[in-house]
Amino acid sequence: MAVSTIYSTQALNSTHFLTSSPSSSSKQVIFYRRQTNRRFNTIITCAAQQTVVIGLAADSGCGKSTFMRRLTSVFGGAAEPPKGGNPDSNTLISDMTTVICLDDYHSLDRTGRKEKGVTALDPRANDFDLMYEQVKALKSGIAVEKPIYNHVTGLLDAPELIQPPKILVIEGLHPMFDERVRDLLDFSIYLDISNEVKFAWKIQRDMAERGHSLESIKASIEARKPDFDAFIDPQKQYADAVIEVLPTQLIPDDNEGKVLRVRLIMKEGVKYFSPVYLFDEGSTISWIPCGRKLTCSYPGIKFNYQPDSYFDNEVSVVEMDGQFDRLDELIYVESHLSNLSTKFYGEVTQQMLKHADFPGSNNGTGLFQTIVGLKIRDLYEQLIANKANAPTEASKA
Amino acid sequence: MMSTTASHGRVMMLPSPSRALQNQQPLIGSDMFRLKQTEPRGSRLVVAATAKYKGTKMREEKLSEMIVEKVKEATEVCEADVRSEGCKVAWDEVEEVSQARADLRIKLKLLNQDPLESFCQENPETDECRIYED
Repeated sequence: MAVSTIYSTQALNSTHFLTSSPSSSSKQVIFYRRQTNRRFNTIITCAAQQTVVIGLAADSGCGKSTFMRRLTSVFGGAAEPPKGGNPDSNTLISDMTTVICLDDYHSLDRTGRKEKGVTALDPRANDFDLMYEQVKALKSGIAVEKPIYNHVTGLLDAPELIQPPKILVIEGLHPMFDERVRDLLDFSIYLDISNEVKFAWKIQRDMAERGHSLESIKASIEARKPDFDAFIDPQKQYADAVIEVLPTQLIPDDNEGKVLRVRLIMKEGVKYFSPVYLFDEGSTISWIPCGRKLTCSYPGIKFNYQPDSYFDNEVSVVEMDGQFDRLDELIYVESHLSNLSTKFYGEVTQQMLKHADFPGSNNGTGLFQTIVGLKIRDLYEQLIANKANAPTEASKA
Repeated sequence: MMSTTASHGRVMMLPSPSRALQNQQPLIGSDMFRLKQTEPRGSRLVVAATAKYKGTKMREEKLSEMIVEKVKEATEVCEADVRSEGCKVAWDEVEEVSQARADLRIKLKLLNQDPLESFCQENPETDECRIYED
């Protein structure tokens, strides 16, 4: 991870300048001060720029994702599109994070895909070499000119300059598809929406459009399913955390898809990631918080926690079925969960309240997205602390 | 106090974080009820976000039209052969433009401003940046 850069230091005394050594594995900063008789130099070794890379696999478009907004909000500040650039850019930038939409790495635009007969889900429509090069560059602290895929025109627009951020999130259909890209990820998440819920959500999304009907919505999901199952779904075995969204089990024969059962499947043994648990780590718990201390309205709330196996990986699963109806339910639940990586009591509730108007704020999707956001913050801080312990040395020439 | 959203069903309407939360004291159930009752019903202001600039209005209309066209196209192509490549690509295009249409609606709602706002600050003279009037 060597980067060679030469800085001039007009801000300092003009007789000083800095250079960094290209041959060392971490950045070295060498001060030179020109004096009449001798050169005086001090070598200071510091840790290289540490960009943490998070991958999020989701079939819900880019940029508007409420997950992204919750995540960037945990770090503070709202994520916004780059100012003054292409108005159809998919990128979001906040103080600490930059979110890149992987659709920007389409190798074929809409016309090209039609000609070749491939959907956007097909790996043949995506340039994984470029994706790998650019994510690797950003991770090493090098800015890149990233292409823009315009979802309105279906064309590939002129590239935009992306500066290496502290936290890079790559969001889209294929963050974990290519093995090289997978190896660059410090943490990965897969959002797994079941078919029934997907259908219900797409109905809510599209029914207002005059072009759509129940039939067209259904046909679109069915037609994309083979490619989705072949190329996108298998990525979930690689994810460190899977958020699975299913229809509720609390209401018999519910087909509205409004009450949800959400499962947070967390891989064990991932560096810097300690799974959330309920009451007793590693045990199996079934918990209905509604009762004497807490009154809930129909259909209530039910939690489950248990160790499990997922694609040959050891995992822990926390599951929430039902809806929050009042603030006190949320804070009651938060106070009984452990390993949340909050910085103060009530932080999960506070984050949920901040975005009370986002979809999923009253159920497990919002809750687990918020918790994953806090886990990522925790992972980031641990990673940074670890790098900062790299040795520093000073010597005089 | 409930309201519906375009995508994911019911959304919880909550009072903003209270002083108690900010002091980070543990809260008990009855505190929450008191918090909720101090917020008068209907006090939450919902601003309907609509397109401000011509460019955004044009994008909205274009995407809606494209949905109509592409659904028609997909239905025709798939009538011939539902298992063909052309059929699945056609429906994938429908999905792409439907998502783009929804994204624009959500951007307007979540940002509560026109997505072209910052572009139009820099380029007020372009056709796209003319103020849209009904």
